[in-house]
Amino acid sequence: MGLPNASGDLSTEVEVDAFRRLFPLRFYEKHLLESIRPDARPLGRARETTIALGAVASANGSALAKIGSTTMLAAIKMEVMTPSLETPDEGCIGLLPLAARFPVSLSLLKTPGRPAEAAPVVAKQLSDTILSSGMINLKELSLVSGKAAWMAYLDIYCLDADGALFDTALLSAVAAFSHLEIPVVSLNDDGKIVLSEEQGLSDREPVNKEKRKINLSSVPFSLTCVLHKNYILADPTAEEESIMDTIVTVVLDSSSQLVSLQKPGGTVLAYTSAIQDCIALTRQRVKELQKILEEAISGMEVD
Amino acid sequence: MAAKPGSAPVTYSPNLGQKTRPPIFKDNDLDWVRPDGRGFHQCRPAFFRTGAVNSASGSAYAELGSTKVIVSVFGPRESKKAMMYSDTGRLNCNVSYTTFATPVRGQGSDHKEFSSMLHKALEGAIMLETFPKTTVDVFALVLESGGSDLPVVISCASLALADAGIMMYDLVAAVSVSCLGKNLVIDPVLEEESYQDGSLMLTCMPSRYEVTQLTFTGEWSTPDINEAMQLCLDACNKLGKVMRTCLKEAASGSQE
Amino acid sequence: MEVDREDGRSQNQLRPLACSRNILHRAHGSASWSQGDTKVLAAVYGPKAGTKKNENPEKACIEVIWKPKTGQIGKPEKEYEMILKRTLESVCILTVNPNTTTSIIVQVVNDDGALLPSAINAACMALVDAGIPMKHLAVAVCCCVAKSGYVILDPTKLEEQQKMKAFAYLVFPNSVHSVLPEGSLRVEGEPIENGIITSVTHGIMSVDDYFYCLERGRAASVKLSDFLRRNLQQQSTDSSKAG
Repeated sequence: MGLPNASGDLSTEVEVDAFRRLFPLRFYEKHLLESIRPDARPLGRARETTIALGAVASANGSALAKIGSTTMLAAIKMEVMTPSLETPDEGCIGLLPLAARFPVSLSLLKTPGRPAEAAPVVAKQLSDTILSSGMINLKELSLVSGKAAWMAYLDIYCLDADGALFDTALLSAVAAFSHLEIPVVSLNDDGKIVLSEEQGLSDREPVNKEKRKINLSSVPFSLTCVLHKNYILADPTAEEESIMDTIVTVVLDSSSQLVSLQKPGGTVLAYTSAIQDCIALTRQRVKELQKILEEAISGMEVD
Repeated sequence: MAAKPGSAPVTYSPNLGQKTRPPIFKDNDLDWVRPDGRGFHQCRPAFFRTGAVNSASGSAYAELGSTKVIVSVFGPRESKKAMMYSDTGRLNCNVSYTTFATPVRGQGSDHKEFSSMLHKALEGAIMLETFPKTTVDVFALVLESGGSDLPVVISCASLALADAGIMMYDLVAAVSVSCLGKNLVIDPVLEEESYQDGSLMLTCMPSRYEVTQLTFTGEWSTPDINEAMQLCLDACNKLGKVMRTCLKEAASGSQE
Repeated sequence: MEVDREDGRSQNQLRPLACSRNILHRAHGSASWSQGDTKVLAAVYGPKAGTKKNENPEKACIEVIWKPKTGQIGKPEKEYEMILKRTLESVCILTVNPNTTTSIIVQVVNDDGALLPSAINAACMALVDAGIPMKHLAVAVCCCVAKSGYVILDPTKLEEQQKMKAFAYLVFPNSVHSVLPEGSLRVEGEPIENGIITSVTHGIMSVDDYFYCLERGRAASVKLSDFLRRNLQQQSTDSSKAG
């Protein structure tokens, strides 16, 4: 890297963009001194977040979540399966095929390789989080005890990546589950579950008259922070994540229980106070996200 | 806590999707209505938007009825070392479907064929000699399949290329026509595609009035072919105009 | 609070530790680490010239390959690899050997709970054995929150599966013996060994439980780092006698 002070002399001479590329860390530190980030956010502020429910009509539940320019599309398709012998009256969330699928395109980003490499890890974290949060009561997915139950296949596609991949993936997954509408089905003569209306079986008693929505008990929300020296930057962009390598992801559920706290290495050691600050930031963020999700849901009901 | 490994249970969709073909198509009845109420020679309203993906050099989103497609373009960037030296640029196309794009989950994984057709449709329009030794990647993702997927992918891809600033002779617009009994139906939806006797897809550069790709499948009579091609060319012209306005709007929006 | 554990340990008691280094001849450094019946073998090859694609050539690159006891590598193993890689990257001094790759192969010999912490400890000792420049050691502990609310350390597989609602894998730096005056290494009033290098949690716990885990983990990491120090000193005197 050469002379440590070389950048100091150059900072007044070169253009801002050039300085940003040549000395990214210096560039950020100059901003951090002023408690502001290059995209004009204060340190603790997350980027603009939007949720669009029902983005894909061919799925039973879907949602498009956007945090800054990171965009993820989650969709759930319901299929029928025979429940296992141990859990005759439980359904299943198709988390085995769940892979936050990143299209090939994103493996070729300017910071190459990252999302493709991150995909299995994000997918694993996501399935751990969703399963362990107890958000979904698997018993609600049962249709005929011991015979048939729903398998909810959740697939997430990353359409655009700019940091905070896990946060966006979790948000889109949660939103897709809250948008999920279970189709009315009945048992046909062959003992198979079919859509009631389509097969002319509407006169028969549907198997799931009341269970059209899934009750989400404790919804998990997350916030990723980047630690650098004593600064905590909430909701980092891809650039921030690549320059400052200490990342902390906190997942809290709606009753403020800790679902997950991930800090995979990084040059900065996290002390108790930093962890406390991250958790406090996440608490705020959970409230924000809850509100955004509620607004998205109520917006759907008006239509 | 650990996901049960290995034993992925067998599942099936409650949506059997095996409906009998409505008798309406069998008769030579000209009075039937299309599933979405359009006229036979009427296209679905097209919506295009460029710049949907920030991390790509160019991108476009297209929505025609329930067909939703997103295309991102990366490059031009250095070709892989293993590749031979080439005076002209390379184009690399890939079309994929989301697992939830089709009514039954995970159908339609085979899109090698679509990828190569996309490549052939675009190749003729791009000035490959303007970026020697480099590769441009075009990745198309079909978010929701609602019929006429490939034509939408092709039109959307040419917009994404334009957004990325790749030099082209003209935009490429693509439209398909289905032959249902004696009727010619333009821009078919998924349901119509499943009953069709034959289909024709035409991709062209509207301002130059040049065809880059023409494909037929199924049973066609010569007069029908002529009529279908004329229909497609007219529709491509109109589609080309819509695409052009979309680009103009994006350009004027960024200037302000 | 009395807790009965299958093996009669108290809640803060670790299982017997064992560590031996330089056990493989072909590897540049190796170590085996066992914690009760959990045993992990780590081998280090490198530094070799060149970094892999997409890695920063201005720094040394660390590559972790996880070999499960049986079967193929799946998503959980990928996650372990990522956590190990990030953890080791933060303890190694990467600027000494720029544009090199060091490979660490972790072979699980037996899994009886607290697998990831054991693997981190093993990998760390193997790095020391290979003479890779490091800032300090990483000491990994597993804390469990039981359904009834108490916290135990270093659970066995049986305990992990049956009684626990949540667990936290924590990695701390080892306690530093320094010639500098007491307190000069403190950051915000906390000694350096209180900083978390890596934290991974599974399952739901309250925030207070997590901080309690941190406290217990720190206490245990002091014991562990003493063990590591003794082990390193002992074996280095052994080898100097032999040589």
